[in-house]
Amino acid sequence: MAVSTKKQLPKVCRECHRVVDGETCVICSTSNLSTDWSGYLVVIDPINSEVAKKVNINLPGRYALKVR
Amino acid sequence: MTESEGAEEETTLHYFAIKTTSKQERTVADNIKKAVDQTDIKVYSVMAPKELQGYVLVETPEKLNRMEQLIERVPHARAILRGETALAEVAHFLVPKPVVSGIVEGTIIELIAGPFKGEKAIVKRVDSGKEEITVELYESMVPIPITVRGDNVRVIDRGEDR
Repeated sequence: MAVSTKKQLPKVCRECHRVVDGETCVICSTSNLSTDWSGYLVVIDPINSEVAKKVNINLPGRYALKVR
Repeated sequence: MTESEGAEEETTLHYFAIKTTSKQERTVADNIKKAVDQTDIKVYSVMAPKELQGYVLVETPEKLNRMEQLIERVPHARAILRGETALAEVAHFLVPKPVVSGIVEGTIIELIAGPFKGEKAIVKRVDSGKEEITVELYESMVPIPITVRGDNVRVIDRGEDR
């Protein structure tokens, strides 16, 4: 019953580095997306997070650390 | 004085490393977010850098025992490291340096992926913007420039001693 399904990497907005579910970024409304990315950052509370401040993120969500 | 010290201590952020099942770092980061939504445990961010395989880093104002409670609810999270780290120690993960940073013209490299895998080559040009390098194979009869991705090569000789 082993089904070999390769997990597809979600797309990331090249501008805001946000992990996007559809075909356009909801924040930048751009379709400039990439599947070639690495490093993952989940920001839950951008107001109190020092990490979010360091990478200039002010919206909670899932982000990539590096996008090509 | 003591009051302000107390307030400062309350807002001190802790950075803990959580050991995860291999290749499940992203899943664990997502699961931590879900677990945080369901409990009153505060976590401000979760980081899963590519360089740090098998671990995720959490930024939290909570103490270690609260984090232990949290990871019990998180699938694929195996343990929490007892020591904690600081932002200064993990900040370099946030700004990954370009993969071509240690490569200059004349560097001898080995291709580690693609059709020329295993071949040695000499670097002719470095494009740090695109993170690509143009190389010429050692063994080829005629010099044909090949452009490859910066992460598809391994540096053999930087040519510093020459």
